[in-house]
Amino acid sequence: MSTELCSSCGSCGFPMRSAEDHAGGDPQCGYCSTCADPSGTLRPYEDVVEANADYFVREQGIALTAAREMARALLDSMPAWKARP
Amino acid sequence: MIALPAVASQRSRQREATRRQLLEAGLRMVATEGFAGTSTAAIAQATGKAHGTVFLHFRTRDALVAEIVAEIGRSMSDRLAALETATPTLREVIDAHLTALAEHEVLYARVLAEASTLPPAARARLFALQSAIASRLRAAHARARTAGEVRALDAVVAANLWIALTNHYLMNRDLFAPGESVVAKCGADLAAQWLALVST
Ligand SMILES: [Zn+2]
Repeated sequence: MSTELCSSCGSCGFPMRSAEDHAGGDPQCGYCSTCADPSGTLRPYEDVVEANADYFVREQGIALTAAREMARALLDSMPAWKARP
Repeated sequence: MIALPAVASQRSRQREATRRQLLEAGLRMVATEGFAGTSTAAIAQATGKAHGTVFLHFRTRDALVAEIVAEIGRSMSDRLAALETATPTLREVIDAHLTALAEHEVLYARVLAEASTLPPAARARLFALQSAIASRLRAAHARARTAGEVRALDAVVAANLWIALTNHYLMNRDLFAPGESVVAKCGADLAAQWLALVST
């Protein structure tokens, strides 16, 4: 069903369409520019939760508390955070 | 010793093939029975696998459901990306959205109808997908606003209006378009009406 047209971020699942979507503008990086710093290193979990929550608030106007919960649920199901204690 | 890596990669291919089979069976079952009517036992049976095999690939039923929703989301995102130009107009964004919706209508309508009872990770996937649509609409709206083509509506509300409109028709597709595609039947009109609402 899925055709690998674009890769999705290993941390948040965001589909990365252009080089700028990847951290540091590097298409080889498996994380998006929201989840990783310009060197491609994944940011700390709480920072990534906050960045993803901000994105939900900005794009859909939902409450910040609900956005944080949503972001946690999303991240916890992703490969990058599976091993998180 | 030399054969070992080959065996390992064959195993990993088999493993991926089984995971894919389970996921595809899950998608087919959700299309006909909905999430509530889709059990891990039935998915195992449909693929001829032991029930326990499902849990070798997905830790829990919730994890499998989240992966099914993620798969629908990925497929729709890929479609949107394929249709997209660098700076699409509002018309181009909603047309691409309608095309992606039409191709995933049955499954996406199931996700919407059952959203409130889906596990949090699955619901978050749906929300992430909607945010991606909203984000494209917001950017196109900003460009149209600069060009004086749209009224001074809040861009988030304008995007939510479009998402709410399409969701309503999709969730009630059996009423708006019994036995056919609601996107094919009503999509073009909804797009025209929404554009008329937001345009100057
Ligand atoms: Zn990310």
